[in-house]
Amino acid sequence: MNDSTPTATTAAEPEAAAPAPVDRSVAILVWVSQRGVFLFTATLIVFASVFVNGFASFVNLTDVFYRAAPIGIVAVGMTFVVISGNYLDLSVVAQVATSAVILIAVSNEYGIFPAVLAALLVAAVYGLVNGIAVGYFKANAVIVTLSTTYIGLGILRWLSGGSIFFGPEDGPIRALGQVEVLGLPLSAVVLVVMALLLAFMLDRTNFGFTIRAFGSNNEATRLAGVNTSRVVVGAFLLTSVAAMVAGFVLAAFSNTAVSTMADGFDFGALAAIIIGGTSVFGGRGSILRTLLGVIFVSVLTNVLVLSGVGFGWQQMAIGLLIVVAVSLDTIARKVATS
Amino acid sequence: MTEPQTLSLGDTAATDRAGRLRAVLSRRTEGRAVVLLAVVFVMALALEPLVFTAYEVTLGRVALIGLVALGLTAVILMGELDLSVASTLAVSGVVMASVPNIYAGIAAALVVGLLIGAVNAFFVVKIGINSFIATLGMLFVLRGLAFVLSGEQPVRLTNIEAGIAFGRPLVGPVSPRILLFVLVFIALQVFVTRMRVGREFYAVGGNRQAARDAGIPVDRRVFTGFMISGFVASLAGVINTLELTAADPTAGGTVLLASFAAAIIGGVALKGGRGSIVGTLLGALSLGTIEVGLTLSGVQVDIQQVFIGGVLLIAVITDPASLREATANFRLFRRREPEVQS
Repeated sequence: MNDSTPTATTAAEPEAAAPAPVDRSVAILVWVSQRGVFLFTATLIVFASVFVNGFASFVNLTDVFYRAAPIGIVAVGMTFVVISGNYLDLSVVAQVATSAVILIAVSNEYGIFPAVLAALLVAAVYGLVNGIAVGYFKANAVIVTLSTTYIGLGILRWLSGGSIFFGPEDGPIRALGQVEVLGLPLSAVVLVVMALLLAFMLDRTNFGFTIRAFGSNNEATRLAGVNTSRVVVGAFLLTSVAAMVAGFVLAAFSNTAVSTMADGFDFGALAAIIIGGTSVFGGRGSILRTLLGVIFVSVLTNVLVLSGVGFGWQQMAIGLLIVVAVSLDTIARKVATS
Repeated sequence: MTEPQTLSLGDTAATDRAGRLRAVLSRRTEGRAVVLLAVVFVMALALEPLVFTAYEVTLGRVALIGLVALGLTAVILMGELDLSVASTLAVSGVVMASVPNIYAGIAAALVVGLLIGAVNAFFVVKIGINSFIATLGMLFVLRGLAFVLSGEQPVRLTNIEAGIAFGRPLVGPVSPRILLFVLVFIALQVFVTRMRVGREFYAVGGNRQAARDAGIPVDRRVFTGFMISGFVASLAGVINTLELTAADPTAGGTVLLASFAAAIIGGVALKGGRGSIVGTLLGALSLGTIEVGLTLSGVQVDIQQVFIGGVLLIAVITDPASLREATANFRLFRRREPEVQS
């Protein structure tokens, strides 16, 4: 399946390059902008393992996985919203935090199954509100999810009083957080499973196909007889479920939950998606690309931290990456089509 | 306003009084803001009259929310977004506090704002990136820059006296902050309604290709819009720094939501081409009154956020265009259902 993903997204490349005597530099530009993330991720990892002290140790790589997993799960889910052409879901910040707090706080009182049920309910409400406002009312996704973020975070902080919740040391959540599969933390396994599942949905099911079609040309998709509003609701629901899982992973990792624990997940996940090469105009992109984007950003952050670079510079690096990645893509497409 | 919406008042449906009222409230750009403001004022009078007795506080809050919103309006009118306003506010504040001389600092901060606007516009116009992504990237870059420049700590103003003097009211309740807000409001209102360049913003937002065909230099207008937004955001940063007598690299966190909310409640359409400076002012007035009213009633900040988020959500889905979409969707459903069954 992973083999098919890049070929699907790069299928447009031969077409673009086909009108024969295209300039050599243009071809290189198109190639880099299409495959860039594969190239850069590989280069960065090789560079880091050779030059950065302490990068290629087992402890450090496990740490990278631990940190990358929750935001990665959010990002693979949000890829659906981005491919459907609706920019992003900002409310993942509120969703991840709510799901984490519910998992710890509710399971402390009533046990783990009511907690999971409650979190599912919350995810459904988020997905439906966002999806209906964007899908049926055609409201701008940025503004809709911005407002649901504030509503959700406000309610969460009010109900939780901003306090930190701890799970019992011998509880099931603690146990899950410490499970390791083949030396990898369970959270990394969850990320891979989610990515495989969602990649299957995006590339092999009717739903995924419709999302891509809607993102490429929503009017044509609607005229083809697809209930496009329902497809948008589906994309947002999927993102909400992914955010819920990310909240579980985050809570299990530390056995604690606070309302502020997912701050920065919104733009962080979007940055990974964009750097992976998924187009924010919708239609083009893949789960594999998002996964690579997540790996790239987390390895880069890890390298910067190991090299003693401060928070400010890290933020600037990510911002520059976004602008450069999208500029490259835009210029390549402009040159290729002209 | 001279938008085409006014013409539709002559519709046959609008001849009877109820239809006319509905047309005014739903079609006119500022309709929803007027309704919200009326509701807020009545509720404030009934529940917390202190809002009006303590009007200095209320006006101060309105000015802070409204200033950034006014700058944003110029960009949104053309169908573009500027997510970097909050970070611009933080960076310009830090730049200002880092310069020893206060006047040089203010000048430097405003120049930084203009520069940021120009960089945003460069990516949008020259390279052709979607403004949402370009300003998102700038949001990260500028936030990082604010942290780097300030050494991750609040920077104290060297001339604290100037900051204290700035906070004093000039005449009655009018503090320099409110005065600046009113000046920016008047300047933008005149610019958008009376000057050719400003009126062309509507054309660019309504139909970019048509505007280009009509000979409007679209790229230059977008440049101007982003520079206005950057300049006004840095002005807000300067005011903020003067009042706190220090620049906080994390400043402006809550400004992004509030300023977008003010513009959207005021009827500015995110697709561009519709909206007004007066509407944004009304939006900021209602939001500021809600915030201060809730604070004075002893409502927690968290619940206030729920209120404002709710108002924004309702505002964005009751936008006339959104409502039309939803009803059309509904009709489409009903028509399609028998086909599916057969």
